[in-house]
Amino acid sequence: MSNSLWELKAGESARITGYDDALADSYRIRLMELGFHVNEHVICVQSPSLGAPKVFRVSNTVFSLDDEVALHIMVDPAI
Amino acid sequence: MSKIILVGSPNSGKSLLFNRLTGLQQKVANFPGITVDIASGKLSDAPDLELVDYPGTYSLQPISGEEQVAVAQFTASLDDPNVSQVVCVVDVTRLEKSLYFTLQVIRECARHGKPVIVAGNMIDVLHRHNIQLEAAGLADALGAPLVPISGRSGEGLDILLDKLRANADRDDSPSSGTQWSDTPDVLLRGTAHQLAGQYGPRGDILVRTQSRLDSFFLHTGSGGIVFFSIMFLLFQSIFTWSAPIMDAIETGLGTLSNWVVPALPYQVMQDFTADAIFSGIGAFLVFVPQIFVLTVIIGILEDSGYMARAALICHRPLRIFGLTGKSFIPMLSGVACAIPGIYAARSIDSPRKRLLTYLAIPLMPCSARLPVYTLLIAAFIPNTTAFGGLIGVQGLAMFLTYFFGLFCGLLVTGLVSRMSEDNFTDVPFVLEMPPYRMPSWKPLLRNAWNRSKHFVTKAGAIILAVTIVIWILGYFPNYGASLGESWLGSIGHLVEPIFAPLGLDWRYGVAIMTSFLAREVFVGTLGTMFGIQSAEENMVPLVDSIQSSGLSIASGVALLVFFAIALMCVSTMAVVSRESRSHSLALKMFAAYGVAAYILAVITYQLVSLLVS
Repeated sequence: MSNSLWELKAGESARITGYDDALADSYRIRLMELGFHVNEHVICVQSPSLGAPKVFRVSNTVFSLDDEVALHIMVDPAI
Repeated sequence: MSKIILVGSPNSGKSLLFNRLTGLQQKVANFPGITVDIASGKLSDAPDLELVDYPGTYSLQPISGEEQVAVAQFTASLDDPNVSQVVCVVDVTRLEKSLYFTLQVIRECARHGKPVIVAGNMIDVLHRHNIQLEAAGLADALGAPLVPISGRSGEGLDILLDKLRANADRDDSPSSGTQWSDTPDVLLRGTAHQLAGQYGPRGDILVRTQSRLDSFFLHTGSGGIVFFSIMFLLFQSIFTWSAPIMDAIETGLGTLSNWVVPALPYQVMQDFTADAIFSGIGAFLVFVPQIFVLTVIIGILEDSGYMARAALICHRPLRIFGLTGKSFIPMLSGVACAIPGIYAARSIDSPRKRLLTYLAIPLMPCSARLPVYTLLIAAFIPNTTAFGGLIGVQGLAMFLTYFFGLFCGLLVTGLVSRMSEDNFTDVPFVLEMPPYRMPSWKPLLRNAWNRSKHFVTKAGAIILAVTIVIWILGYFPNYGASLGESWLGSIGHLVEPIFAPLGLDWRYGVAIMTSFLAREVFVGTLGTMFGIQSAEENMVPLVDSIQSSGLSIASGVALLVFFAIALMCVSTMAVVSRESRSHSLALKMFAAYGVAAYILAVITYQLVSLLVS
């Protein structure tokens, strides 16, 4: 079952399963360049309230993504 | 001269390495996107070699206009016969984000027959955690030599330098990574991912501390308290920490003026030196400590890694107004001076949000507005306390005036964002969170010194020139006998009808006109008008003169509104033109903010007049 990355809560991890078609190709490629590859393990490090961007860790790099991006990254939380 | 191109992904420590090798002072900070211009310098230990530092980018496949320019410049440089080699800086603690770009660089260099040296930066961090980098294996896999270095400690720089010299001395340096020449991006991405997994540090040991600190600094409760405490301290420090140095400058200039002026032979020379030179210099020198302190504090926030967290905290509220969390730093810089704020906006990758940030910055309550606000508040707001002596009324007025500027900035961006069609390809919010680090004092102080020097040389020259022109216009043709009959007086009477709806006479009209070049000139000009020397240094006689001139509180508040909105700074307009590559944007901003300031000031005057009558 695929959820969006945005749905992860702090401390939860998931595997990236793909990207939503609504995400422009250039950003999909940029996200992959940053390490958000399909099958990559991603952890939600922080999930501040009031809709602030969430903080995710891929490999040894930490990124902050807002819902405009994270909603388009599909993940499988069952890992 | 043999050139060496320096490239790397954002926040890989490229500029720190550049400074180490050249002895120059490029701005460095623990925040992605700090290098926005190409910088070059000779290597300190090999003056026949020139190092050229390019802005950081995550890949050679650009997604924004700035990246497009940087990538085009880099690929063009590979055709330059003077370019002997390329150094690609890789953050060895975060190989995942660096290796794809590195492989792309190696491929492009192989196509152009240029050798590449990979500088594996931040090796000291790995050593601190007892992690070894398998440098030889990674170098073999990349097809390019890899030198583990630390831009911070200097480790490995001698080896890097030897390799640079050796490459430059050889006419036939072998190009690197020829095996990648025909490899498409998609395969390079896969290879980079695989190599990062194979050679990169495993587990979360390097980010464990960062995660712990983030859970405190980004927590809804503690994070919010820390954020507001830091902002409070920032504003406090601008005023309190700078005050002793500002006082010292005022005293020093006063003493010097008292010593120099009487020694001059003619009255006209004495008047010119006291009023035009010393007042002119005093008007802007007095703000240098504030700019210095603010630059140091912003530097600490950037260097420690906190600025990225502040951008995250502010992102959601700023998004309501069409901005991004990345707008926070330029807007905060704009509180000291709009010019560094406009420059700082380059790190915003979305062209639309960068443009909106340009619109907001000139409305931030910059330090040039400070003397105007101080004067008007001292003249019209009673020096009493409220809430049982807890809050000073003048301090509250100052806070509200500052808040008004911020509110106007957000209102403008919110309106423009909603009114304008989204013609830009927008860039979503993805911000790399740098690790927390202890700030390095030396570069921080050096940067603050450079910023202050820039302010003195650029803005100072304009202010001094304006002061001299004003003095000449006010002194002649009757040698200072009567300001009303001087050239300045004639101009003032001519423009008086424009300012009459604000309840202002010709003297205030002239002061407003002159302050369109730089706001702080307003105080000096009024001082000249009321015949008070060094008004910027001692406002009390000028406050008394304003109060006794019959100016109403409605006019005072209207003036505050006018100064909070009008774009009265030629330097800011010049920088907006340059950065946006659009003269029309700066002119439109000047016209729109000027008209809005005038209309709102007239409305304010009418409303306050009604309320107090």
